[in-house]
Amino acid sequence: MNEMFAARGLRLLAATIVVVNGFVPAVWILLTSLKTEVELVGRPITYLPHHPVLDNYVRAFTDQPLLKYLGNSFAVAMMSTAASLIVAACAAYAIARLNLRRRQLILTCIVASSMFPLVTLLVPIFETMRTLNLLNTYTALVLPYTVLNLPVCTLVLVSFFQSIPRDLENAAMIDGCTRLGALVRVVIPLAAPGVFTAGILGFVNAWDEFLLALSLNSSASMRTLPVGISLYQGEFAFPWPTISAALIVAIVPIAVLIAVFQERVVGGLTQGGLKG
Amino acid sequence: MKLDRFKDPGEKTLAAMLLAPAFVLLVLVVVYPIGRLLWNSFFDLRLSGGGAKFVGLQNYLNAMQDADFWNATWNTVLITLITVPGALVVGLCLALLANLPFKRRWPVRLALLLPWALPLAFVGLIFAWFFHTEFGVVNDILRRLFGAEPTMWLLTPRLAFTAICGAIIWKTSSFMALILLAGLQMIPKSLYEAAEVDGASRWQQFSQITIPMLMPSIVVALIFRTITALQTFDIPVTMTHGGPGHSTQTLAMLIHATTIDYMNVGYGSTLAVLMFVLSLFVTGFYLKRIGRNA
Repeated sequence: MNEMFAARGLRLLAATIVVVNGFVPAVWILLTSLKTEVELVGRPITYLPHHPVLDNYVRAFTDQPLLKYLGNSFAVAMMSTAASLIVAACAAYAIARLNLRRRQLILTCIVASSMFPLVTLLVPIFETMRTLNLLNTYTALVLPYTVLNLPVCTLVLVSFFQSIPRDLENAAMIDGCTRLGALVRVVIPLAAPGVFTAGILGFVNAWDEFLLALSLNSSASMRTLPVGISLYQGEFAFPWPTISAALIVAIVPIAVLIAVFQERVVGGLTQGGLKG
Repeated sequence: MKLDRFKDPGEKTLAAMLLAPAFVLLVLVVVYPIGRLLWNSFFDLRLSGGGAKFVGLQNYLNAMQDADFWNATWNTVLITLITVPGALVVGLCLALLANLPFKRRWPVRLALLLPWALPLAFVGLIFAWFFHTEFGVVNDILRRLFGAEPTMWLLTPRLAFTAICGAIIWKTSSFMALILLAGLQMIPKSLYEAAEVDGASRWQQFSQITIPMLMPSIVVALIFRTITALQTFDIPVTMTHGGPGHSTQTLAMLIHATTIDYMNVGYGSTLAVLMFVLSLFVTGFYLKRIGRNA
């Protein structure tokens, strides 16, 4: 009995360590964002806000075009994820289902592209986008992000396609569907969870990207969230109260997304990781 | 006639049609830039004006004598050598803790997912706030525990480097933990039961069963982590901007500054080629080791 109690205590301790480690930075920023500026620069520092206020959130939106950054991040992440899914779904279907001689090699080629350091691609991409007058447009980011997400989307979708019984597809083709028809009517609907998983991973990747966003879209109206917030300038010092409020605004959508779909995200991540 | 063929193309045509978009994109965004990069590295090319002038290997010779290049390379290698094993150890601990049989799994899982999902740039900002000299929580805890005077973490070269490594390890260990946790859950329980019957101690079970069975996951996690560590950019940029001086500047930051800020595309390309070679070298080393083990 005692031993069982001890084991439960130990489990609780283990869970606490993991949870505290994961949440402390976000919680600390949340607490910071609720403090008044006066409280924030007082010594010694306080832990819980004395009089929680939402002023910082108001200022996060009025001092800087935070709404614009949010919109940019959403637009870029959505468009690149959608494009990536379409291209990856086509490639993954061919790799998983069609009679290809070098399917492993083709998959390796696609996955190997993620091994190239992004910063080495940055220089020519910057030069090309500049020549084409595409700097500070959505296209400048959507195109590279689509390619950046191809490997993980393709990996996740290949294993989903492989898990769908071939008989279902064959039955549809016997019933008069073409191969493309069977793909659209049978395989894609059945692979919807996979498409969704790959989509979340791609969305998070695009939402988080910093190097290209900073280099290609630096004009104030085209910044994505990570770039916009890290370039916040205060009048005198780095405006920590507004920054922490902006960070919370930027973290919430992604936190909700992974909280709701955590099993899928973990499945997709480890699948992509272990097969790659 | 033509329409029919479009409706149900042969298997080979269909495969080519389906694979084409992916390969066109890869050529446009990966293959062409790599070629372009190599080509540019032999030119004196500045976007600020003036045409491209072929200079042969001069850019490479300049890089070899560029103190900034060696400083950034050394910082990048050091960050890799510190944060990759660091994230592995922390990630393994987190994975072992998270693998205990909890009744409710979601808080633990979310705690591992959140650091993964946070943008690196945000992690840099948050840790810069942690290590703030006057209002940072780190100095406050040190003061409460030891009565220590405020430390200027991000304004002292070695301490700034340490703080950056700490932030990187925190951010990346959770992805490690997720991969390792999946590996742990694939180890058959019967192995431990058999070991128990044979009288193996906890430590023997860990070192003789857990670690060897986990090896494939560890290798995968290490490869991913090393490749990303060599590209370290976001966290030092948001924490220190490479400072104080150039003490925390990485290769990626130097390439970014040379190309985007100074518009020196020729020299920036040369630095990028050198970085490319470095990462090929490291990836090759890993693949060779895997080949030997397999």
